Amino acid sequence: MTGGAPYLDEMVDGCGGIRPPWRSLLAALRSLPEGGLTDAANRLDRAFEEEGVTSLLPGPDSMGIWRCDPVPLLLSAGEFAALETALAQRARLLEAILGDLYGPQTLLADGALPPALAFANPGFLRPCRMPGLHHRRPLLHFYAADLVRSPDGAWRVLSDRTTGAAGIGYARENRRMLARVLPEAFRSGSVRQLRPFFEAWTDALQALAPDGTPAPRIALLTPGTASPLWFEHMYLSRELSCALVEGADLTVRGGAVFLKTLKGLSPVDVILRRTEGPSIDPVEFTGDGAHGVPGLMDALRAGAVRMVNDPGTAAAQAPALAAFLPALAPRLLGETLRMASVRTMWLGEEQAREQVLSDPANWLIRPATDGTAPATALAEMREDARRSLLARIVARPWAYAATAAVSPSTAPCAGSDGMTPKPVVLRMFLINEHGDRWRAMTGGLARVVEEADRLAGRLPRHGLSKDVWVLSEDTTDIVGPVAITIPPMPVRRTAGDLPSRVADHLYWLGRYVERLESAARLIRAALTRLTRGAPLPRELAEIRTLAACLADAGVIAREAANAPPGTAALPEALLRSVAESGPVGGLFTHIARLADAVRDRLTGDMYAHLTQTLRSARSDAQRVGRSLDALVHACVGTMRFSAGIAGIAAENLVRGGGFLFLDLGRRIERAQAISANLANLLDVPAPRIESGLRLGLELCDSAITYRTRYLTVLQAGPVLDLVMADPANPRALAFQLSAATRHLRDIAGQEDSLCEVASNIGLDAAMLVTRVIAAGAAQAEEAALLPEELRRIETRLGQLSDALTRRYFALLPAAQTLGLGDGERSAIPAAA
Amino acid sequence: MIYRVRHTTTYAYAEPVDLATHMLHLTPRVLPYQEVIASRIVAEPEPSGLRQGEDHFGNRVTWLSVDTPHATFEVTTEADVSVSFPVPPPADQTPPWEEVAAAARAGGPGAWEAAEFCFDSMLAPSGAEVHAYAAPSFAPGRPILAALADLNARFGRDFTFRTGVTNISTPVVQVLNQRAGVCQDFTHVMIAGLRSHGIPARYVSGYIRTRPRPGQPRRRGADQSHAWVSAWMGPAHGWVDLDPTNDLIVSDEHVVLAWGRDFADISPVRGVILGGGPHGVSVGVDLEPLEAE
Repeated sequence: MTGGAPYLDEMVDGCGGIRPPWRSLLAALRSLPEGGLTDAANRLDRAFEEEGVTSLLPGPDSMGIWRCDPVPLLLSAGEFAALETALAQRARLLEAILGDLYGPQTLLADGALPPALAFANPGFLRPCRMPGLHHRRPLLHFYAADLVRSPDGAWRVLSDRTTGAAGIGYARENRRMLARVLPEAFRSGSVRQLRPFFEAWTDALQALAPDGTPAPRIALLTPGTASPLWFEHMYLSRELSCALVEGADLTVRGGAVFLKTLKGLSPVDVILRRTEGPSIDPVEFTGDGAHGVPGLMDALRAGAVRMVNDPGTAAAQAPALAAFLPALAPRLLGETLRMASVRTMWLGEEQAREQVLSDPANWLIRPATDGTAPATALAEMREDARRSLLARIVARPWAYAATAAVSPSTAPCAGSDGMTPKPVVLRMFLINEHGDRWRAMTGGLARVVEEADRLAGRLPRHGLSKDVWVLSEDTTDIVGPVAITIPPMPVRRTAGDLPSRVADHLYWLGRYVERLESAARLIRAALTRLTRGAPLPRELAEIRTLAACLADAGVIAREAANAPPGTAALPEALLRSVAESGPVGGLFTHIARLADAVRDRLTGDMYAHLTQTLRSARSDAQRVGRSLDALVHACVGTMRFSAGIAGIAAENLVRGGGFLFLDLGRRIERAQAISANLANLLDVPAPRIESGLRLGLELCDSAITYRTRYLTVLQAGPVLDLVMADPANPRALAFQLSAATRHLRDIAGQEDSLCEVASNIGLDAAMLVTRVIAAGAAQAEEAALLPEELRRIETRLGQLSDALTRRYFALLPAAQTLGLGDGERSAIPAAA
Repeated sequence: MIYRVRHTTTYAYAEPVDLATHMLHLTPRVLPYQEVIASRIVAEPEPSGLRQGEDHFGNRVTWLSVDTPHATFEVTTEADVSVSFPVPPPADQTPPWEEVAAAARAGGPGAWEAAEFCFDSMLAPSGAEVHAYAAPSFAPGRPILAALADLNARFGRDFTFRTGVTNISTPVVQVLNQRAGVCQDFTHVMIAGLRSHGIPARYVSGYIRTRPRPGQPRRRGADQSHAWVSAWMGPAHGWVDLDPTNDLIVSDEHVVLAWGRDFADISPVRGVILGGGPHGVSVGVDLEPLEAE
């Protein structure tokens, strides 16, 4: 960003005075106590972190955090109206260009557009072209533009965003957080709300469904948790009342598109695409067969489903297109272009090339057709790099565009000491309501231009953003849209709408959280004995038993468990287990990944709780180092985390499919752990069984209950009754199995073979206890015979888990692409 | 010449395929010089859905899906085609190749459709190596058809037709270095060389007659899908088809299925299957004259 012209400031007029819209905001901010603005900035940072706007996952994502400045960017009512009209016109123009490129191509045929803009454009997707495109129009349904205000005071378009239009979720989140942290500021004037825009968008999406579809099913297609915009997709799916789906959740059958749910295939009428166009269908676009939905492109062509934006709309965000818009607007719309772009030239024109080469310092070079690539400032390049770029331009001039280097206006931002002006780019968002009618979001996302920011290209992964306030002249227009009559919807209470993938994730989230708790409990039990100075022989035996349990649970290696008690092998193994690369550390990572993947199914409170407690438990575990004390502390924190998740799930999740699978995972995991642990604990000669019984009570957190019932006498019958057969003890085997049976029945909507399997395992466990009690004085001997039976129960639980995985999660066989590798080359051995 | 073409592709899977979606470029194009008298496509098992239409390049496409579990998939196309490619103009009457490149670059009336084929594509990217190989044929001011015929003939001299040394993802540079491959490879190399000089060139897939005319050598690439190059000679003369594998200017021994920028645009049988495990494919092609010669 260069240029000698003076910066224009959003807050100040040409004469050093404060522009009217800003006066009341400034007054409100001034009324804050000393340091109030800095404090607000810090509280905003914290709020974003707590709400988990960033990802839970480690790595670059959690570093790439968007921060929000407490001082908004203001747009007066008149200014907003002018921007909305101009951008709506631009959207209509881009739609007309797209309609031509994917249809008759008259603009190419008569030379109004050079061939390179279509045929060398990575966004021009040939499978999208067809005669008679009408049923897919408008191709453009949402649109965003990056604007800068140039020193002459006029807003100009820097980039068009016709495929992803990312950032809308951040804009919405900025508003929500700012209202929470700095409510005073909102009292300063009448700020138009964002909600009506999302309501209008929801209606517009519903209206896209084929005529007469009674309650259209809308799905937001996301690349999934790996996408840096996952948060935004999740957020939008909620705001727009659509199902959040990945490619693997959809299938095309008989030409129509369906969502794979627990109850079978459920039709989809409209797809809100938030993926790259070519990733929608591996049959027609070259790519990996594992992504996309085979047949989706043809379903679209046939009109069986609507997709917005149409897959090929990225073609219209080619930077070089800006050079042609002034001539195309009169031709395609019969209007002159209302808002100019930042001066942009296509270097395929000889004159343009000469101009740039003669005066390179004032230009940013961009790829002609790739709007996502960053721009290069010729002025800031090293001499050799600049020469090589200029040579490339001469060799393939059609591949480049040049945009005049601009000085964006500045806006006040919270600094360490009051407010500092910083340059900003404004992104505005529009949707197509119907036909030619476009509507702009009454707000936007302003981002502060950092030193290395080349303005153009993708949104950076991190940076400082600002809420954008559209002010209204008077308060009367702060009302919602006219109420639209929606036909009454059937009441739904089924669990069956849950996509199979989500159910799968929730089930494993339940299992892993429980597995983590069980591991922490075992580690703590071992540690309390290990750290007690000189252990008694009885304690040494208990340590050996616990080590066997730990090895069975996969927490430590078998060799460490078999090492003689008193050596350092076991403590070392325990310390290693919680390190990031250890098995317990790995559980944290799995849980974080699954929590992100099902985030749209969790309430905000639940996700925030999960995020915070997981972060803290995890960082405790990673800081353990070589300290056994710290390890005990980390185990307690981990157990508290797991218990907290269970509590908050019970209190916040509707008892539908989601909760059922989460809890089912937990119950089956716990039942397996109880059987495995008891099998180890009872695997001793009858006279020594007492210590096993004591450990059993400890590991099942049932010691206090036992004491209140039976005082201190330990006998096999009562102990095993409490931890295996008592249906009222939430730590008992029987409790897990009756809960699992109930959940399986609720999921299926009736008794089925899976319920029967679960219930039989519970009955058999109770039977074992009855046998022990019936043995009277020989209870200990009878109990010592149980390990084999318990191991059998553990195996049956594993089989139950496999069976329900097969039934509900419908593991699809892997997809393969044919015809692009060895397909037609019979003489050729298959490609490796 | 009138030919009957029969082309069968059979996939055999080790495990059942639950759901298959295919896109076929198996129906010959209708062209001013190619009449499709009759054509049909038969698939086994019976498709659960089937649609036909045209792609961006004007090729005829069949989209079909099979949603019953199947261990083999066989698709056969049968067509009767009458073909007679136009006789190209005398080479010295065609414009200098630089003029052709400039017309393509400019686009607009008469040139915009050809212009698409002067840009790089995935399987035929231009580059310094292919440019250097093609350059001796492109002396300054040489008439385009003379340059094309010269380059086409050099493939016959410089390259060895050998199966098994390449597959479809072998880069053109490697084919160039090893000077060996099959018709797809030669076609991709030649297209890349032409594009590196700014000449629009497209990939044509089709068939060449199985048995030669009496007294003629057996053509290479018979018995299977064949591929060759179509190159642009400017707005006045249009396209000419050249078969670098057989050092021929195409006249009446070839039948056109489809054209595109490279093989990836027009793979005859393309698809995505769920399941299937390891699979094998066999292809049988027969192109016989329907009239006595």
